[in-house]
Amino acid sequence: MSEYVLELKGITKIFPGVKALNNVQFQLKPGEVHALMGENGAGKSTFIKVITGVHKAEEGEMFLNGQKVDFKGPKDAQAAGIAAVYQHPTSYPHLTVAENIFMGHEIIKHKMIQWKAMNTEANKLLAQLDADFDATAEMGTLSVAQQQMVEIAKAMSTNAKIIILDEPTAALTRSESEKLYTLVDKLKEEGVSIIFISHRFEDMYRLASRVTVFRDSQYIGTYDVNEITNADLIKAMVGREIKDLFPKPEVKLGQEMLRVENLSRLGYFKDISFHIKAGEILGLTGLVGAGRTEVVEAVCGITRPDSGKVYLEGKEIHIKQPSDAMEKGIILLPEDRQKEGLIMSWGLGRNVTLPTISKYAKTGLNDEKTERDLAKKLLEEVDTKAVDIFQPASSLSGGNQQKVVVAKALSQEMKVVIMDEPTKGVDVGAKAEIYAIMGDLAKKGYAIILISSEMPEILGMADRIVVMCNGRKTGELGREEASQERILELAMEKSGGKEASE
Amino acid sequence: MAGKSGRSINNVPESSIKRMIFSWEGILILIFIAVNIFCAMFSEFYNVSSLLRQMPVYLAEVFLMLPMAYILVLGEIDISVGSIVCLSATVCCIVCNMNAPFIVVVLTGLLVGTACGAVNGFILTKFTELPPMIVTLATQIIFRGIAEITLGSGGSITMSNLDGFNAIGGKVGQVPYILFLVVILAVVFAIILGKSTFGRRVYAIGTNRLTAYYSGVHVQKIRMIIYTVMGTVSGLCAIFLLSSSFGANTTTGNGFEMDAIAMAVFGGISSTGGKGNIAGGVIAAFIIVCLRVGLGQQNVHAQVILLIIGVLLIAAVALPNIIGQVRRAVKTK
Repeated sequence: MSEYVLELKGITKIFPGVKALNNVQFQLKPGEVHALMGENGAGKSTFIKVITGVHKAEEGEMFLNGQKVDFKGPKDAQAAGIAAVYQHPTSYPHLTVAENIFMGHEIIKHKMIQWKAMNTEANKLLAQLDADFDATAEMGTLSVAQQQMVEIAKAMSTNAKIIILDEPTAALTRSESEKLYTLVDKLKEEGVSIIFISHRFEDMYRLASRVTVFRDSQYIGTYDVNEITNADLIKAMVGREIKDLFPKPEVKLGQEMLRVENLSRLGYFKDISFHIKAGEILGLTGLVGAGRTEVVEAVCGITRPDSGKVYLEGKEIHIKQPSDAMEKGIILLPEDRQKEGLIMSWGLGRNVTLPTISKYAKTGLNDEKTERDLAKKLLEEVDTKAVDIFQPASSLSGGNQQKVVVAKALSQEMKVVIMDEPTKGVDVGAKAEIYAIMGDLAKKGYAIILISSEMPEILGMADRIVVMCNGRKTGELGREEASQERILELAMEKSGGKEASE
Repeated sequence: MAGKSGRSINNVPESSIKRMIFSWEGILILIFIAVNIFCAMFSEFYNVSSLLRQMPVYLAEVFLMLPMAYILVLGEIDISVGSIVCLSATVCCIVCNMNAPFIVVVLTGLLVGTACGAVNGFILTKFTELPPMIVTLATQIIFRGIAEITLGSGGSITMSNLDGFNAIGGKVGQVPYILFLVVILAVVFAIILGKSTFGRRVYAIGTNRLTAYYSGVHVQKIRMIIYTVMGTVSGLCAIFLLSSSFGANTTTGNGFEMDAIAMAVFGGISSTGGKGNIAGGVIAAFIIVCLRVGLGQQNVHAQVILLIIGVLLIAAVALPNIIGQVRRAVKTK
């Protein structure tokens, strides 16, 4: 009877105005890693919240080891051995690792917290996970990957039998992802069942034995990972075929647009040189923390480099702040859309025109009509899925938010567009659309710098690839000679680069 | 471009009349009317001409609300303005007693205020990590300290030449000059905040400073301008204060910053930044002015008036919250 540790049948969840889940089902076998995939807005997160007791489904039943359960709240789910680890760890940065692990279920004797016991216990859990930090470390000093490890340790400390990982690799570098894979394998061996949400196919192939796909709040199907092809899976997720994920156009390269020479910033990067031509897409890759973002931030005036020169169209330029860069025609589309790219509570239109408002304001007063027309035009150009230009940016999915960020860059004449992780947290359908926009921009003669940790993206879109490691440029590859292995080799190079980070 | 789906995005705004009626400003106008009816019933002396006669004393503070609104929209606060008013007033008195021409006295007042504001702005834009509350708390103490040192042991100064100040305290018919100036400045500040690119950028900074910075907004320049203008207006406030008090002492301008903040917050300008407009602040300011005049006429104690204003303020802050909760409750039903 209990072939499954967890089984959900006919789950329907209604939010005011929307059916977030429509009669979906799900089965989890003991000790399996089960991937849950679908585009953003497909209902995955809501589904997870139903399992963890955060949301209560209007219809449907849930069985745990064959027993019907009815969670009143997250506490019930926790008590039943279900724990969730989220993409952005929700921790207390100023407390220690041990305190974070035992938050809510501290080891208590005579109403006093038993620090020693707690630290020992926490270290035991961390040792099981092969963690390279101590239980007394402050949470805020850890990397995202390490924080995730703490979250997993926390789940284990509650003796969770089912662990849900919500996009755990989204913020991780490649080597960190590898570590997570081993960790998941280990958990599996210990008999923990895992539900794994990810946009990365890599994750799924590496870890999961079965995959369930949701689309538009509905259950599409459950497949054996070994039996379904990539194309079929994408089709299941998107509902249509994506013929060409990377529509890299053949572009005749123009003159040199940007040249960076020996750019250095103490503690971040050293002697970085590269150049890019009109119509070219330059991939800038390396592990997270290699200094990629820092380099382009220095180019765009967000930080100031200690030395080095930047040339635009052959002329040396001095950029002190982002507005200087924009005036010259260089724009950075930052990695963190919500904190740096958009004003989430503002309407889409105002977001789009923010960098250029003074252009249409002849007398210093805003020309709202022109702004509205321009916003409409640009948002339609990048094919944003929006109803009107007044809806807040927060109402869009990640992929569409990214399109709004791109539209912002288009509101003025730009020469160099720098995109920092433009498809982070974006589903596969929207990804293809963003690549298409990128290709179109290149065709129009923009020089594009693409920063990305996603290997297929870099290999698929870039004409040339600059690889960084520890604040140093370790190599440059042409489109033909580039391969996953070559890039990794350069990105993980052990020699060199130490000085810059010291 | 990529947009092959031909999806059309609406860019026609909905009519603003409906929004206006249900806005906080709409509610404020109702409160304003209610307060006036209440005052008229409470005090038999309360009418337009008595209001206009007694208003100027309170109007000087309304000046402060205008730039304070900008600072609040930035998501920041300036609690040094009361001290700037004190210092400006003190220096004005000294210069006036040196028999300087009135224009010089006025310029001195404005200049002292501007300089103080620029000091705030300079510190805050050079050391961007420092919280404005703490920096302006420090300058509050410093500016008042300088004023007290200047005032010397007596702790007060009276002006010998009152001609100029009597003149600016004058009226056109029944309407005092200061009311004209308040209205004019309010309109100017409202247009700049609500309609200009500068204003849009102020909202951008107040809502998401990083995004504003990445989008090419001169964050520090704008902050510098606003804090400096806050100082200039404090100087203006000092000058009009002198036109009714004819002297300064160590308590001049005490608590003005809080009154200005109270007016703005009552007017729907969020202290967390990015929300509110000058119109709300101005209506709220006049509600408070009318209440003070009306209650003052019946010799209600100044402290009791403060109490009432305090209660109003809490109600104003809590009301949108309560409305939101009721709305949610109705929706989920």
